[in-house]
Formats: sequence, C-alpha cells, structure tokens
Amino acid sequence: MRRPGPVRFWAALFAGLVLALALDACSRDEPVTYVDLSKREEIVIQAPAKALTYAYLPQYSHTVSYERHKLLVEYLQQATGMPIRQIFPGTFEEHVQMVERGEIDISFSNPFVYVRLAGNGSRAFARIIEPSGKPDFYSQIICRKDNKALKTLEDCRGKRWIAVDPVSAGGYLFALGLFYDHGIRKEDFAEVAFAPGPGGAQEKVVLAVYAGVYDLGSVRDGTLAILKNRIDLDQIRILAESRHYPGWVYSARRGLDAAIVERLAKAMFALDMKRPEDAAILAPAGMRGIIPADDAMYDPVRQLAGKLSIDLDQGAGN
Amino acid sequence: MTLLGFSRLRFRTKINLGIASIVLCIALPLAVAVSRMAADALIDESKKRGSVLVQNLAVRVEDPMLAMDLLRLKNMVDELAAVEDIEYAFVLDAADNVLVHSFPSAYFPVELKTVNRVADEVPLGIELLRTEDERLIYDFAAPVMISRTRFGTVRMGLSRSQTQAVVNRLVLVIFGLSGVALVSGFVFSTVFARRVTRRLNILREHAEEMVKGNLDLQTGPSLTRNCWEMLDCRLTNCPAFGDSRRRCWYLAGTMCPECDNSSPRGKLESCKNCLVYQMNKGDEIQDLAETFDVMALALKAHIGELKQAERNLTRQQSLMRTILEVTPDMVGLLDTNLKYLAANKALAAFFGRDVAEVVGSQDTALYPPAEAERAAAEHRENEEVLASGPAVSKETEWRRGERRHFFHVVKLPARDRDGHIMGLLFTARDIGEVKKYQEQLIQSQKMESVGKLAGGVAHEINTPLGVILGYAQLLQEDVPADSQILSDLKTIEKQAKVCRKIVADLLKFSRQSESEKREMCFNNSLMEAVSLVKHTFSLDKIEIKTEMDDRMPIIFGDPDKLKQVWLNLLNNARDAMDGGGAILVRTRLDSPAKKVTAWVADTGPGIDAEHLGHIFEPFFSTKPVGKGTGLGLSVSFGIIQDHKGSIRVQSPVPAGFMAAPRREGAAPGPGALFIVDLPLDHEVDVDAAAD
Repeated sequence: MRRPGPVRFWAALFAGLVLALALDACSRDEPVTYVDLSKREEIVIQAPAKALTYAYLPQYSHTVSYERHKLLVEYLQQATGMPIRQIFPGTFEEHVQMVERGEIDISFSNPFVYVRLAGNGSRAFARIIEPSGKPDFYSQIICRKDNKALKTLEDCRGKRWIAVDPVSAGGYLFALGLFYDHGIRKEDFAEVAFAPGPGGAQEKVVLAVYAGVYDLGSVRDGTLAILKNRIDLDQIRILAESRHYPGWVYSARRGLDAAIVERLAKAMFALDMKRPEDAAILAPAGMRGIIPADDAMYDPVRQLAGKLSIDLDQGAGN
Repeated sequence: MTLLGFSRLRFRTKINLGIASIVLCIALPLAVAVSRMAADALIDESKKRGSVLVQNLAVRVEDPMLAMDLLRLKNMVDELAAVEDIEYAFVLDAADNVLVHSFPSAYFPVELKTVNRVADEVPLGIELLRTEDERLIYDFAAPVMISRTRFGTVRMGLSRSQTQAVVNRLVLVIFGLSGVALVSGFVFSTVFARRVTRRLNILREHAEEMVKGNLDLQTGPSLTRNCWEMLDCRLTNCPAFGDSRRRCWYLAGTMCPECDNSSPRGKLESCKNCLVYQMNKGDEIQDLAETFDVMALALKAHIGELKQAERNLTRQQSLMRTILEVTPDMVGLLDTNLKYLAANKALAAFFGRDVAEVVGSQDTALYPPAEAERAAAEHRENEEVLASGPAVSKETEWRRGERRHFFHVVKLPARDRDGHIMGLLFTARDIGEVKKYQEQLIQSQKMESVGKLAGGVAHEINTPLGVILGYAQLLQEDVPADSQILSDLKTIEKQAKVCRKIVADLLKFSRQSESEKREMCFNNSLMEAVSLVKHTFSLDKIEIKTEMDDRMPIIFGDPDKLKQVWLNLLNNARDAMDGGGAILVRTRLDSPAKKVTAWVADTGPGIDAEHLGHIFEPFFSTKPVGKGTGLGLSVSFGIIQDHKGSIRVQSPVPAGFMAAPRREGAAPGPGALFIVDLPLDHEVDVDAAAD
C-alpha cells in the first residue's frame, strides 16, 4: 500500500478545514418579517357594552368562577333575551361593595354575604340545590390522613387551623360554630390562619393541609371533589362536619327591575338536571338545580352570626 | 513544502507538525461544529424560553382579563419587559385591541398587531421580525383561552440580536479554547518529541560511534533492580548473574527454573510472566536501546573473537611462511594452467629468480634455455599428473656446470573440497648428502664382503700353503746344498712365506685371528711404536713429533695389534715422504664422548680425492709394485673395527694442524691426516689415572 505523501496530507487537511468552515457558513435560514416599530398610535380602551352584571362571590379564582358559570350565564342570556355579563370582583368585600354600588345586578353569594347584602336591600329570589342533592351546605374539618394526633374535635385544641376567610361560611364560620358548640373557642387554637391572596381560597386551605403547613383546615363541602385531579385525596381525612345551613343564594340588588328578576328566576327554575343539556349547564356550576328562595330561609344563618358575635357588616363568606 | 523538504525536516519537527495538524484537524471542525450546535441550542433554548414566558403570561393574564384588571395586566407586561433581552410585551383582547403594552409611551407600534397572528387552536406562534433599525426580534404570540373561549392574545418580543451576541461570545470562547488546545498540543508535542528524539538521538550517536568502532557505549538506562537481587538468586554461574548492563531476558542460557531456553522466542515469552521483566520492562525505545546494547556487546565479542582468529591465522600464516622459507626443500603450487600460484625461496633460488617472478610463470619460462628440453619434460609430466591424478615420486639428477645435484621430487595433485583437481603441489628435496652416505654405506658393505671373502680364501689357502712350505723345507734336506733344486726350493719356501704373511694379514683384516684385549695405556701404546721407528725414520730425515694427552687415557684393547696399527700408519707416512718430512702424532681424551682419539699427520704429497674412498680396501696401493702388499691400511681398518672404533683419513691436512713440527728445508706437501677413535670401554677415572 502506498504511503500518502506529505503533499496529499496537507491537501486533505486543507480540504477538511475548508469543509468545516463551509459547514459553519450554512447558518439557519429563517423567514424574517419586516416591521416598522416607529409607526405608532395611541391606545384607547373600549368601554364594555351595556348589560346585566352577574357576579359570583369570589370563592374560587376568576377563571374557575368563569368556567363554572359561563354556560349558565350564556343560558340566561339566551333564555331571557337580555345581555348579561359576568364580572369578577377580587374579594368578598369588593363583591359586597359592588352590589351596594349597583355594579352587580345579580349576585350569587353564600348565606352570610347574602344576610349582609340583604341588610342593604338585596333580596333573595333563588337558591341552588347543592351537588349533594340538598339545597343546603356545610363545613368540613379536614386534616392529613396520617395525622395521628387528630382523632376528635377535642384533639384540635392547641393545633394550627387554616380557614378560608374570616367571613367564609362553609370555609370558616360553620366550622367555628361547630367548635363553639363543642366548647372550643378561637383562642384555644395555637394559630388560626386564613388562606392568603385573591381567589381560590378553598383550594388553598386543602393544599395547605395537604402540604402539612397546618394541622387542620375548614372548607365547604364539595371542595375536595374539585381538587380530585390535582392532589391525592387519599392523603386527606375529614375530621368532622358542621350542621347544614341553607346554601348559596341568588339575590337581586336593591332597585333592580322586578320583571327582570322574574324573567331570570323563571329561566333559572326551568333548568332541570334530568335534561342533559340543562345538566351540562348546571354541573359545571356546582349545582343540581335552582329553586325559589326567600329571605326568611336565612334566619339560621343570622342566628349563627349572633352566636359567634359576627358583625355582618364586616361580611362573611362561603 | 516539497516532499524532499519535508523528509529533511528534523524528526522532532515532524512530530510537532503531525500533532499540531491532528489538533488542528480535530479542534477546528470540532470548534465549528460545537459553535454551530451551541448557537443553535442557544437560539432554540431562547425560543423555548420565550415560548414558556409567553404561554405563562397567557395563563397569568386570565384572571386580570376576566376582572379587566388593567393595572395587574400592565404590571405583568412591564415585569416581563424588564428582563434584559425582552424587547416588549403586550396583551390584546379578543377583538385585537391592545389592552396593555410595555412600550414606554402610550403610543403603540401598530404594525406589531398585524404580524404573528395565531388561531385559537394554535398554542403558540413564533415569527422572526426585523425592525427598521435592523434589530432581529423573535415575536411570540399565545392565545388567551378560558374555557375554550378566546379572550385575547399575549405577545412578547425576544431580542434575537442579544442572543446572537451571546452566541458570538460563546463561539469566541470555543475558538479561544481551541486555540489554547492547539498551543497546548504544540507545547506537549514539543516536550514529548524532545523526550522521544533525545533517546533516538542517543541511539543514533551510539550507532555512529559503533560505525567508528567504539562498542563500549551504553544506550539503555542502567538497571536499578537486578534480577538476582529481586529473585534472591544465588546461581552465580548464571550468565545474567552480576550483569547489570544487559537485560536477563535477552541473554541465552539463563538458569531460572521458569526460563524456556529452547528458542529465543520461547525464552522471551516465558520471561514476560517474570517479575523481573514486568518491573524492568520499558517502552519500545527502551527495548530498542537495550537490544542495541546487547547487539553492541555481541558485536564486540564477535569482533574480539574475529581479531583473535585473525591473529591466530596471521601467526599460522607466518609460521607456514617461515617453514616454507626456511626449509631447504623446494615447494611450489601450480594451478591447472601449470602456472605457479605460490613458490618458496628455495624454489625461486633454484630458478635464480625472485619469488614474485616465479609466481604466475610456467616451468618452461623459468628454466634456463640450456635446460629447455628438461623443462618441456617436466611440463609434460605435470600435465599428466593434472590429467590423471597419480602422484609422482622420483629421484632426479641435475647437472649444472661441474656440480651435480640430486633431488627427490614429489608431484601431487591438489584437490578442492569436492575432490576436483585444482592444482599441483611440487616439492623437491636435495638428497646430495643422502647420496654420499649411500655411497659410503655401499663402500662399507663392500669392505665387509671383501673382508669375508679374503678371510675365507686365506683360511682355505693357509693349510695347503703350510703343506707347500713344509714340503719345500723337507725337500731342501733331501737335495744337495748347492744344487739348483735347493736354490729353487728356497725360492719356493721364500715365496710361500710371503704368501703365508699375506694370508696372515688377510686374516687379521677380516678379524678372523684371535686377539687378546686388556686394559692398556693408550699413550704408551703409541709411544712404543714411535720410539721403535723414531731412529730409523730420522735416518730418512723424518721427524716425529708427539703431542700426547697428559691425562694418560686407558683403553681396553690388544696392545700388539694396536701397535701394529700405529706402525702401519707411521710406515705409511714414511713411505709417502721420500725426501723426508715430519710426522705429528697427537692424542686427546674426550671424556664426554667416552672416546680417545689419535691423529697421525704427515707432510707428504697427500692423497688424491678419488683415492680417499679406497685406501682402506685390501690390495689398494699407490705404491710401485713390490713395494707393498696393499694390506697395511686394510689390516689397520680391520683392527680398529675389532676395537669398536673408527679410522678415517683427510687430505690435505687441515690448515694450522701441524705448522709447528715442520722442519726447515723439507718440501712440504698437502699431507694426509689419519684419525683413529677408540672407545673407553671401561669406566675408568682417567683424571685419577692421569694424576
């Protein structure tokens, strides 16, 4: 075999280098769109069209609230022929204030908020049938399944408790009433904390207990089902449940045309879980139906507020 | 660089160039490829990052959009745009109206709204934008979908130019590192090449030294751990024991039990498992150096043996030359063309030429013209020996002028290893002396034969002669005193007595007469004879001078017969000197040779050379007829022989032998000298006797 001479060697080396550099030269050839950023105009925010405003007490994040009530709102628009726009107050307090200011025409709120709204002239006209099939709801006291220290309500003394909000009915007040009835006062806990930040308060409580940040938490019934695809619910144990209180209620702001309320109520009452298309509307909203309601139905809530010395003006939520 | 130029480069430079080329070939394409990949990866990563950011924004804006919380939306786009390489961010509502944006002023670049539109079902849109000031921007667009309802779009601009700057820095670093690798490779290759070529140079220098004849160099490193120390070996007669210069695995006949000495390959294989090999084994260059050392030592040993052999050969050649030069024999070697391949001095001298002239010549050119016929005969004979092979052994005679030469010539065919005749060996020995001795031997045998014949004849004649003499005497008594018969009878008696005397002498010569030997004084025996004739000789003007050995040697002999010898010699001398002369008688004892010698010299006319060999023969005489019987010297010869002695003659007398005794006025001749040696038969302390 003939030995490659130095000339061939250097030629091969040179060719290799040229090839390498040529490969480098073949850079990516991406299409480029020319834009002139210097052409500018002032931005004007369009005002929203006139419509009935529909607000869901911000028990969950806005997105969840939207998703749950989107089809219902669309149905009501269609059924009543009135434009309805769902709006999203940031907090319970904002919700109450917006109702008081007339910015929310139809309020879907928990009993405590309703009792407060009723004090300002709002009137209940419908209430929902809870996913449990009953038109009332309750509070669940939860802890981690592996928490051996918590077996009875009595064990909760000296423990850390996270609740949804100081004005949350299912998430705090019903549970507080349960503890009250068992002789346990708020002061008996090592710590009573509330879920931070806006929206999604019920889920935060579950997540905080799930993560072990707090020993026990209080949420309204149905919360755990919402989280079934996000956390391992087997790790959560329901320690106790409160008595049942009348559930969420639709109320019309003070001064809203009764005819409008009537048309809305009629459309609401027409929904039937037995019809698949109605079920597709009701199920995402966490309700099995809407039935008529009146203010008197919420007296037990008012009594609980009295027992717990709750200043309803400070508001209470779900 | 031409091929010739490259081949002339130093080995170290070639290694450097090779390694630099390898590093260059590897580093440069690698740097290019890595740069390319890194740049692509960075840009891809940048796009992924942009995608994540914009999709994240799309999720985060859901709540504020639902709540129409423009402040939170504004904060979100501003936070995003605060990141260094993000050019802008903005949110469009479902009708593509700008809700918030991150541009510093309230004015929004309208063209941005028209590019990179994304449909509801497309999660992400990426488009590369080039701005009016030549900046490259990746525009990311993600739809804001809540419960499958399009609420709007979030957009974000990521600077491709900044990413490209990062890529460029990365490429610079990679190429920088490649450069460092190249320089490092060059430095390391220099160190490595120096290390390798240093040892190769030592090998080369040592090879040059070997060419110059210096074989006492050590190329390989010295052993620090010797095999007999490592193995605690006490086999002092092992060739490896005590040899710290050569590796034991290169030595034949080592005595380790594990060593396979059946073959060099087998030995090396068996040594590979040995601890000594594993501990002392070096790399290939060290192997080469060690093999080189072994080769040098072997070469030195072989050269030493060759020199010794050469010395031996030279010495043997010298000896052979000396032998050939010194030998008187003529020796020559002829080739198949009968030209001399070699000749010794004796042969050259025979031809009267130098050795160099003889070599290469044929006999026909070397013999003198007068011997051309003989040269041709020798040439023919040589051809016959070469042709047929039988050796020639002969005696031959040369006559050159007056001189005769006798040679014993041998001619032998010289054969090579295969038995083919490749030349002819010629030797010739001068046998002149041998010839002379042969003649003397013949003479002795003749004397012995004559003696025996004469003795036999004398013995047979003696009895009838006695009868003749007796009857002649008896008859004289019967014839008258004055008668003619008586006179005739007396003549018969007289001649018969002459015959009887002759017969008696013949018997003495042939030692057939009885002798009575006894211890006797040699000097006295001689002196008796001298004194007996001294007076008579003086009358004939012959002076007798004696030089007797004063140690008085004693011999065992017959005094009467010896006296007769001395008288014969003296009478023979007187008879030779008619006009007078001188006779010298001398005796000498030679104790070491255990003999006593008598010299009788005269100043007579001497003896002719041709007569010298015959004077002891019976009846040989140069005297006139009737003057002698011719038996005197032969009788003396017989008596001396009977005494185990010897008698010989020289003529002329050696110069200076008898200058003193010569008388003035006498006519001096060459003279003759008789020498008689007699053995001292008995252990006699002659010195004591002399005292």
